[in-house]
Amino acid sequence: MLEIIGAHTHYGGVKVLKGISLQVFEQEIVTLIGANGAGKTTILKTISGLVRPVSGIIKFFGEEIQGLSPDEIVRRGISHVPEGRGIFPEMTVLENLELGAYIRKDKEGTKESFRTVYHYFPVLEKRSKQLAGTLSGGEQQMLAMGRALMIKPKLYLLDEPSMGLAPYLVREVANIIRRINDEGTTVLLVEQNARLALNISARGYVIETGRITLEGRSCDLLTMEQVKKAYLGR
Amino acid sequence: MEVFLQQVLNGLVIGSVYVLIALGLTLLWGILDIPNFAHGNLYMMGAYVTCIFVNQYLFGFFTAMVISMFITAGVGILTEMLVFRPLRGTAPINYLIAALGLFVFLETIALLLWTADIRVIETPFTQKVIGFMNLRLTVQRLMIISVTIILIVLLYLFIKKTMMGKAMRAMAQNREAASLLGININRVSIISFAIASALAAAAGSLIGPIFQVYPTMGGIPIVKAFVIIILGGMGSIPGAILGGYILGCAEGLGTGYVSAAYKDAIGFAILIIVLMVKPSGIFGGVKR
Repeated sequence: MLEIIGAHTHYGGVKVLKGISLQVFEQEIVTLIGANGAGKTTILKTISGLVRPVSGIIKFFGEEIQGLSPDEIVRRGISHVPEGRGIFPEMTVLENLELGAYIRKDKEGTKESFRTVYHYFPVLEKRSKQLAGTLSGGEQQMLAMGRALMIKPKLYLLDEPSMGLAPYLVREVANIIRRINDEGTTVLLVEQNARLALNISARGYVIETGRITLEGRSCDLLTMEQVKKAYLGR
Repeated sequence: MEVFLQQVLNGLVIGSVYVLIALGLTLLWGILDIPNFAHGNLYMMGAYVTCIFVNQYLFGFFTAMVISMFITAGVGILTEMLVFRPLRGTAPINYLIAALGLFVFLETIALLLWTADIRVIETPFTQKVIGFMNLRLTVQRLMIISVTIILIVLLYLFIKKTMMGKAMRAMAQNREAASLLGININRVSIISFAIASALAAAAGSLIGPIFQVYPTMGGIPIVKAFVIIILGGMGSIPGAILGGYILGCAEGLGTGYVSAAYKDAIGFAILIIVLMVKPSGIFGGVKR
């Protein structure tokens, strides 16, 4: 469903992506792993239109989307949960979720999305009147993930969902990602926690300084010596 | 006590005008990071449009004011599209320079269109006086206070309850996240400019019958509006409302007890004191 061909992206004169090509198929969980600054976040930002690639093609269901603005891209069904969550701290949980459905015009569908999100994250329903800024870190992550589900995305981009979370919450978030995927949403996951990411994904790409250096089935990557050494901590 | 109450009342009148100007300024700063020095000139243009419709075409005051709010909103939208939008994403100083340029430009346009002759919006409301105990207030002044309150309530409802209002707040709190949800910054930007400009036009129209209308009339109010939003906390709407009334009342009391000559200095004295105690302003701290 998503195909990137030779994307180069520069950030204030620095070449961050140097020819990235990758594919995501429907129903998959695909993960991007790599060190800090390798360009994982930039790949997601390039897909969602926050930064424009200097060259290269990004196809979503066969149509080129590079160069479109973020709001046009989200309308095509790509939802991006940014690094650092990007919640609106001075608005209530409910308002944050309503804004998640900003582009939706169908009342019934929006109601259904609320039910879906509350089903994955019951805590959000309990806290719906509370200001988002007063939530705990884990709850804020859930709010960011829930908000991005409000449009019923076809492709769900997740940037570092485990960042700053307690270990038991990391497992919970991982389980929820799996469930969201089971129910039909394709996921592209960026994670520092490579073990977690490879455990829940079908395929993975290893990014090093703006290039893809390895790709393959996640179960294979988990056993590779160079992946183990560099990313799995042994 | 009488002097005190009378001056507070006068302060609320002038404070209302400050509030209307400062609200627009704080919206543009809070949502779009634009320090719009030209905002005072939209107040001036709003006053002129109302003046022309009332004096020349003999429209009723309120009809003229509403027309003026729409026309000035249009001018505001044009400044957004032609001046500020092309600069988005460039160094922040560019907004400042462009705003100062726009300030000079709009003032010159007014001079060319309407000459430097001083005008006054002619309404019957400035003649009628309402007495209450020993306080005296013209109908026009009473109208300034009440119309401002109505506009504040409408703005509050818009920002708080409508989807567009929520999108504007979202944009102010996290622009990148807002655009990822499909909120179009151009639309938010246009609506913000339209609202800010319409509020400025209302301020100019309301004060036009009492003060004079002339091309440079926006100069002092815009400086004071900046004082108010720094005082109240940059980008804060409650801060702009409270700050506007505080400055208005302080000026009123200063005029009553000290001297009208020092009126314009009072605001800055308050600003210095508040910034010494709370550098981020009354409602400052977090950007809204």
